[in-house]
Amino acid sequence: MLRIFHNTSYDFIRWWKWAAGLTVAFLLIGLASYIQAPINYSIEFTGGTMMQVEFERPPDVGALRSGLGAAGIEGAEIIQFGSSREFVIRAQESRQIAEQDTAAGTIARRIQQVLTSTYGSQMRVVRTEAVSPRVGDELQSKALIAMIISFIITLIYLAVRFEWRMGLAAVVATAHDFVATLVFMKLMHLEVSLMVVAGLLTVIGYSMNDTVIIFDRLREDLRKARNESLYDTLNRSINETLPRSIITHSLSLTSVLALLLLGGEVIRPFAWVMAFGIFTGTFSSMYVAAPLLIWIERKWPRKTSVARRSSTATRTSRTPRSKATAAT
Amino acid sequence: MNLKYRIVIVIGLILASAAALFPRNVTERVKGPNGFVFDTVRRVPLKRGLDLKGGMHLALEVDESKAVVADKSEALDRALKVVRTRIDQFGVSEPLVQKEGEERIIVELPGIDDPQRAQEVVQKSAFLQFQITDETQALEKALPKLDAAVKTIARSGAVAPRQDTTTRRASGVSDLLTADTSRVAARADSARPDSAKADSAKTDTAVTPSAGDFSNLIQQGQFPGEYFVANDDVQTLQSYLSMPAVQAAIPPGKVIRFGIDSMQIGNALYRPIYVLDARPIITGQFLTDAKPNTSPTEGTIVEFQFNNEGGRRFRNETSKHIQDYMAIVLDDRVMGRPPVIQSAIGTRGQITMGGRDLQAASDLALVLRAGSLPTPLKIVEIRNIGPTLGQDSIDQGTRAGTIAVVLLVVLIIAYYRFSGALAVAGLLLYVLFTLGILAGFGAVLTLPGLAGFVLSLGVAVDANVLIFERIREELDRGKTVRTAIDEGFSHAMTAIVDSNVTAALTAAVLYQFGTGPVQGFAVTLLAGIIASMVSSIFVVRTFYMVWLSRQATSPQTLSI
Repeated sequence: MLRIFHNTSYDFIRWWKWAAGLTVAFLLIGLASYIQAPINYSIEFTGGTMMQVEFERPPDVGALRSGLGAAGIEGAEIIQFGSSREFVIRAQESRQIAEQDTAAGTIARRIQQVLTSTYGSQMRVVRTEAVSPRVGDELQSKALIAMIISFIITLIYLAVRFEWRMGLAAVVATAHDFVATLVFMKLMHLEVSLMVVAGLLTVIGYSMNDTVIIFDRLREDLRKARNESLYDTLNRSINETLPRSIITHSLSLTSVLALLLLGGEVIRPFAWVMAFGIFTGTFSSMYVAAPLLIWIERKWPRKTSVARRSSTATRTSRTPRSKATAAT
Repeated sequence: MNLKYRIVIVIGLILASAAALFPRNVTERVKGPNGFVFDTVRRVPLKRGLDLKGGMHLALEVDESKAVVADKSEALDRALKVVRTRIDQFGVSEPLVQKEGEERIIVELPGIDDPQRAQEVVQKSAFLQFQITDETQALEKALPKLDAAVKTIARSGAVAPRQDTTTRRASGVSDLLTADTSRVAARADSARPDSAKADSAKTDTAVTPSAGDFSNLIQQGQFPGEYFVANDDVQTLQSYLSMPAVQAAIPPGKVIRFGIDSMQIGNALYRPIYVLDARPIITGQFLTDAKPNTSPTEGTIVEFQFNNEGGRRFRNETSKHIQDYMAIVLDDRVMGRPPVIQSAIGTRGQITMGGRDLQAASDLALVLRAGSLPTPLKIVEIRNIGPTLGQDSIDQGTRAGTIAVVLLVVLIIAYYRFSGALAVAGLLLYVLFTLGILAGFGAVLTLPGLAGFVLSLGVAVDANVLIFERIREELDRGKTVRTAIDEGFSHAMTAIVDSNVTAALTAAVLYQFGTGPVQGFAVTLLAGIIASMVSSIFVVRTFYMVWLSRQATSPQTLSI
């Protein structure tokens, strides 16, 4: 039997101050970079025009830029996309976006005219996206609502399944991952697109999943533990689930790396977000959720240890697991 | 549960998924050499989204920049019908035209090769009017007033036109000439460049105002109501005509419309403008048929036909206007030169297309047949993905997916040996189930959907890992193989259920609040979560039970 991290007894929680320092430092860096420049939203959220163009031979970007400027499209971003013959042109200046209010395709048409007049048949527009500012605003609020609601629903679910203290700790840990992933995106200069938001929401699910698995073990260990502090029990739960965490995360990371390296340009930002999310999800389960739970328990202690045991006992009688155990 | 029933259920699930995925006959509209035909093809019933197949996605809204539409939802419903008829005739295989929410129409055209043309077909108002040119010299009489209006604006300095720029932008610039705003099409193609140039033109005039500007721009044409303006002055004139003061000075009951083609007079190009009776003698609502044609004398034309009632009215009206000139006005632009009415015209007529090609004529015939849009529409979102890009995405996605799966399989079997092999068999079924669910519910496979699929693969693997680690722990505690397996599954159950339910809830919220691509992601994630729970909790356990039942004696060791 091949085993890794078997029967470990690391004192994970002892390092929580270091971890907290690390987290705060990371978030502060994020805050600083945010003050320096706001988050880079994709045109789906702000409105704007994006065109992906394939040239027959590498174009002169400077000439292209001045050509676009002459056509009244100043400040357009021209970014190489994959090979040296493929470029993405992005017009996201507020003036250009405003022009798209009455008809989304106006700027795209102008860019197309510039391209056709300069390169003729030596280029091919492979992708066009043009979004009017209103649609962008709508999408922004929709995405925000979706995130808030998914938070609330998971909080309710966790509160019902576990207990509000654990639910709260899990949700705060997840919120941490959310913010940390945003910081990561900021530092990586990833653009916040719909795809990235989907990745972000998956990170939320993933990180929640990770915390839930440790807390599930904690729930079980709490029932068994007699004269053990919560600190020790939590440490034990983390250690017991460690092989699973390591294996699952390396396996997930494997598929994410495959996406990252081979999935193509379109999917790459998503893969980056996922890769970081897997890392931070594991980190936060150990170093945010666990210390936080201890703090919450200290602040709002359960009535007595007897009451705790009886309360968990009544709880377990409702879980499907005890039924399953009875059945076997 | 009895092993026999378990096996039956597993086989049943496999058969159901296979049936859902079995290639079946699907009727598709396929673009053939002579337009479009219904064709029956045999294929796996998994639809690919536009981002994988290539094509155009359009979102349209009621354009209220010109006039407020009272019952938007109702207007949108009628517009939906018109757009659908037009798209159906446009000849794309499997187009999608549907209402999204209360305010938006979504048009999806897979594999389109000319996005510009498609946009025009969707958006053209196609409001056809027949108007008699003015015979009363109304414009000449109004010229002093028009000049005065222009002068006032010019005198109020550079500030006024600038302010006007903003109001004009807000009100849309589709057609600068329109007095009857409710019928104006959002002709985006002509509108934008116009506005940009008009801005500069206006700034110029603001700097150099001169008296009698309006009357200097135009000159009398060859018949009553026809005037010419030099091509260089068109922008200036359009900007004047868009000013409220000038509009107020236009003679009552008359409208001014530009022709679509320029004419060469001497060495200069001129654009005709026409002063027309505002009341049309007939509109396109009585039109029953329209088809493109070429005529040796007039180039490309569109021949149209009115129904009986329309024919009667047309005959009536034209008999009152013998020897008058009749302008054929499409979306507030005069098509060709107004012909003189020789005698009463009945149910048939034609529109000359000027220099435009046969394709333009057939597009015009198409939109005329489908009817005019009850309200102007504006395009609020365009996504156009070339077919090669879609194929690239599929190729890269498949490659990444295959490599990910191979790596996972190798790692799982290397680490868990025999149990790992069972898990891999379970994962294979998981893939089958997921695809089966997607096909069964007619879900559309998109690029984010593929990502969701890869992700739920991770969730499925996680469930197996949880179970196996638990079984190992139970074995460590000295339990027998049989008990360890039982306990391993039952103890891992809560963790799997809890984590999957939280993920499923997130996916459900995403589906509810997301749009297109995000919904695709949510659907595959949801399908994947359900399939992964079934495969890891039920199927793999059944495999174990089968294995246990085939052992002569109770096994002492488990390869895990």
